[in-house]
Amino acid sequence: MRRSLYTVGTVLVMGAAAMAGPASAAETQSQASLSVLHAVPDLTVDVYVNGALTLDDFTPGTLAGPLPLPAGNYQLAVTAADAPDASAPVIGPVDVTLEAGGNYTATANLDAAGNPTANFYTNDVSPVEAGKARLTVRHVAAAPAVDVLAGGAPIVPNLSNPGEASLSTAPGTVSAAVAAAGTTEPVIGPADLNLAEGTSTIVYAWGSLEGGNLALATQVIEGLQSTPGAVPGGQSGLAAQSAENNDGAVLGLGLGALLLALLGGAAVAGRRRTARA
Amino acid sequence: MHQQRKSFALTAASVAAGVLTICCSVSLWSAPAPQQGITAAAEAAPQRETVGPASPPVLPEANPTRKPTGAPPPPAPVLPPPGKIPVRPARAAAEPPPVPPVSLDIPNTGISVNVVDVGVDKNDAMEIPNSFWEAGWYRYGPAPGSKAGNAVIAAHVDSQTEVLPFAQLRAVEPGTVITVGLADGRSLRYEVTEVKNVPKATLNGSEVFRRDGPAQLKIITCGGKWLPEKGDYEDNVVLTALPL
Repeated sequence: MRRSLYTVGTVLVMGAAAMAGPASAAETQSQASLSVLHAVPDLTVDVYVNGALTLDDFTPGTLAGPLPLPAGNYQLAVTAADAPDASAPVIGPVDVTLEAGGNYTATANLDAAGNPTANFYTNDVSPVEAGKARLTVRHVAAAPAVDVLAGGAPIVPNLSNPGEASLSTAPGTVSAAVAAAGTTEPVIGPADLNLAEGTSTIVYAWGSLEGGNLALATQVIEGLQSTPGAVPGGQSGLAAQSAENNDGAVLGLGLGALLLALLGGAAVAGRRRTARA
Repeated sequence: MHQQRKSFALTAASVAAGVLTICCSVSLWSAPAPQQGITAAAEAAPQRETVGPASPPVLPEANPTRKPTGAPPPPAPVLPPPGKIPVRPARAAAEPPPVPPVSLDIPNTGISVNVVDVGVDKNDAMEIPNSFWEAGWYRYGPAPGSKAGNAVIAAHVDSQTEVLPFAQLRAVEPGTVITVGLADGRSLRYEVTEVKNVPKATLNGSEVFRRDGPAQLKIITCGGKWLPEKGDYEDNVVLTALPL
């Protein structure tokens, strides 16, 4: 009986936790998260959001954010660093929609032909399977299609600007490199990349092949871990058999007794029938 | 003779009925729990396993639902001023790995074991060392000595042939001081605050494997009834201890 009361207690506590959950969750759910990556070589810029200066003197190879914003529509513009306002952008303006609960990265980068442009990526923030890491690669460089290599072997083939690819992998340090599609001679790297369990690592190939400044930029989203499905601490039941007042033993006795009762009842019925006959 | 057997049968039947009632209440009450428990947390992680180029991202210019050019964007009073937004080099700053635990001692029990690093097995369960004189530390979570979160160490309660020292975990008294040895030679001391049986069906994985919040040590094994049809124990025994 103690067991069943205890279980009721657990359910009540969990119910209370569930009641407490939604308020904070709702608040979080109405927000979106925006990061901005500057991936245009040799150009310091300002970033305007809805006409307001938001990032001042933003330098190449840097990542801003994550910035929590209410879900909705926004206008992003990238200007020269000395611009007085957003009226003469060098990139954009671009209109973007941030969904509630969404996680986004806007990039200022070069297109495949080397012209400044902007891209807007939705980041996968779904839980990562326990014991795994998520790796996403994005091509935002002025370069033809590439293969992404890990330990010298292609893991993402034939990725073109502004494409992206995502995979789930064992956590740990990988030696990452980027080569022209179909080749293994690195144009970027190899560089060690630490993929932590339960995180999403987003790697950007950026810069310009012609300009000789191709590089990797990295963004890490943490806190996406799942928990193991169980903690299997037993193998044979021997510990239960040896425990005092063990419930399993009582159950065994109960079933045995039930069987006896049924047999006993059948025997009695059988005798009565015999007596009548 | 008949009388005796009859009354015994009656008693036996009522005992059996009582046992069955208890079982029913357990399964009834624990039925909805997995939705919030460890199983749900694991299932809520559908994993994209796509390898290869995904479709290109939707560029803002290509979005047909956006407002016509010239429409004023909504005001955004929430934007922080320049300089308030974190900006950093887009490089992954790898944190140095924590110092792993190598031993665990619980006085007045037979629990004095080596500790090894473990992860997740192919069934999505925490790995438990097969050497029966070892316990496993969940290496993806906090290590003992971390500033935040739960360091989780688990071991088998029995083997195919014998009962193991962790069978005594259930009897550890609050106030007991546990020692965890680290790979760098340091020893950490923890004081037990609670030991309880948690039905596996309701084990809250996101609480047990919590990576933030107060630093705690969780030591876990199996307990409660053996369920032959599942080949598993009904409960986990969960010991909680706080750093001294």
